Amino acid sequence: MTKLIFLGCLSRSKYGETCDNAIKIIKFLDEDYQTLDNPLCCGALAHQIAPKEEIIDYVKLVNNWLKKNNVTHLVTICAGCYNYLTRYYPEYLGKEFKVDVMHLLQLLNKPENLEKLNLKYDGKKLKIYYHDACHLRNAKPPIIEEPREIINSIEGNIVFGEMENNRLNSLCCGAGGGVYSTYKENSDFSSKLIFNQMRMSKALLTACPFCYTSFIRIKTENNIKTPVIKFEDFIVKLMEGVDPINV
Amino acid sequence: MSEKGLELYNRIKDKLDELQSEDSAYAQFNEIWKLACSAKYKSYDLRHFYEDTSREFVDEHRENLIKMKEDFINNIDEYVEKCLRVMEKTNHFKVYYAKNNDEAQKIFMEELGDNKVIYKSKSLEAKDAGIIDTLKKNNIVIKETDLGDVLCQLLEYDYPSFTLGPGIQFTTNEIIAKIKEKYNVEIEPEAEAIVDYYRKTYRKELLNDIKVSLTSANAISAHDGSIVLVENEGNISIITRATEKHIIVAGIQRIVPNVFDALLCAKIQERIINVDGAYISLISAPSNTSDVQGHRVFGMYGAKEVIVILVDDWRMKAVKEDLFYKDMLKCIGCKSCDLVCTASRAFGNIYASKYGIGGINIVRDYIHNGIEAAVADGLFLCTGCENCTNWCPTGVDLAEMIRQLKRIATENHLCPPSLEQYKDKIINEKNPFK
Repeated sequence: MTKLIFLGCLSRSKYGETCDNAIKIIKFLDEDYQTLDNPLCCGALAHQIAPKEEIIDYVKLVNNWLKKNNVTHLVTICAGCYNYLTRYYPEYLGKEFKVDVMHLLQLLNKPENLEKLNLKYDGKKLKIYYHDACHLRNAKPPIIEEPREIINSIEGNIVFGEMENNRLNSLCCGAGGGVYSTYKENSDFSSKLIFNQMRMSKALLTACPFCYTSFIRIKTENNIKTPVIKFEDFIVKLMEGVDPINV
Repeated sequence: MSEKGLELYNRIKDKLDELQSEDSAYAQFNEIWKLACSAKYKSYDLRHFYEDTSREFVDEHRENLIKMKEDFINNIDEYVEKCLRVMEKTNHFKVYYAKNNDEAQKIFMEELGDNKVIYKSKSLEAKDAGIIDTLKKNNIVIKETDLGDVLCQLLEYDYPSFTLGPGIQFTTNEIIAKIKEKYNVEIEPEAEAIVDYYRKTYRKELLNDIKVSLTSANAISAHDGSIVLVENEGNISIITRATEKHIIVAGIQRIVPNVFDALLCAKIQERIINVDGAYISLISAPSNTSDVQGHRVFGMYGAKEVIVILVDDWRMKAVKEDLFYKDMLKCIGCKSCDLVCTASRAFGNIYASKYGIGGINIVRDYIHNGIEAAVADGLFLCTGCENCTNWCPTGVDLAEMIRQLKRIATENHLCPPSLEQYKDKIINEKNPFK
């Protein structure tokens, strides 16, 4: 039986520190979880454009890799992987797909884990906004209340601010479906719209590496001061007693 | 990527460049469209007009609507047959079943006869059936009656627009300048003055001169053959009554089991766009009277003849062959998917086809004109956010249809290069970002 930490290609390729943080959190909560060498991409991006036969062959390949490594449980930090593994793997593989898939937010939000984490914030009043990524709100089951419950469990002066468009009505960052690589103009508009919905907030939290990539570009190009923080990085900073928005 | 693919990719890029220029047609449309999209999200949860919000109303009926649409698809032969029979025998409509668009166009031209002018409402179904193009080819004078469409004609606007508010992008100054240029009439640059001008001039023409009018149908009841039409201006009320011949062109997917279902479809459309005070017409026979000795005579004050052209074309095939765009038959044309679409909000009438803006009209373009047309419409601008599917009141999985189109485009070497590279890297190297 292997409990796998599945980081996702984008985070592994571009956000090494976040991966380290995620591993730190997951192992703190359950030391049986581990990473494996040379993990395979879940195939989500190809799913948008590849013929069904090709994509089914691919998910079979990934499933065989999971089987070979005796993976029974999987926790991912990637919103795209979670969406794809929970919706399309069962659809394409049926009972052949036997892995119990979880997103990091679900793992964090288990009562025993919240208790173990015992998150505290000692600083000045901090208002943070969380962006509901399409991948998480569209997944089966969707991840909507978990981040709210996690933030609200933090002891200290942290206020959770809701955007005008939240939960199932959230705005897409404009970077999904590979559009970021072809027509960045979508995220130019859509991500800016999300920043515009943050009022008097100190930080924008995201649990999606695709959204993060888009937000950071828009923030840099438009000289937006609001810090954008990945959920894992935020949690690790709280665990270490470090200012969570000092990035 | 093929040469054609590159050409289509660059064409979209050029349009996006144009969008950056404030005075371009794309930017002008997008400016107002962004506001409309934002208003949609806000208004959906407000209690402006009713005790319930639009979201509550739609949520309350969604399950029944989905069941009703699925029932229609599963029993399409029976519903179509029943509807045709009752419309002809009971309602005294002249009814045609057009197997394809060519047949629909031929029937329409025969019904038009020697008439060289036609007055029409939006009639999106006639556009889908290629009838508007046929009328243009035959030099028939097409008189729009919805003010937005009238303004589009006046300003010779040929970009795709939001079908429920075409012409909304024009400024009052643009409109009055054109009226001055064309009719030598000076009016104040105010919406009221423009409406008043058309009320005083065009309304008279509509009440007195119409021989043949064309409308679509929002829904048709299979049980009693009633045609349901929704509007807010009164143009449909006038042109369906003050005419000799009212021709209705509708795809067979407009058929619903009974008149209550038809009315529900109409009300859902009203609530989706949060409008109040619309007219809903139920047309169940041509105008008639039995007031002289109990003898029923048709053609009293309203339309003397009501012609219904029910069009099949792609629809029956989609059901029988379980084609990926079968869900199009569930669409009631409420436009919810346009208003919540990420690509539509960002790119307005660039993410659009000649049938109108948004993904649903890109699928329509694919059905009629193939995959190159869909790619040219901006297919790859879709982020896959699935808002369209999540918000649809009748369970149309537009997100999956768009994904399927992207797959077909990729098979035809029309996928943008960077996206195809991702796919190849996943399949070959198991990591798209290597």
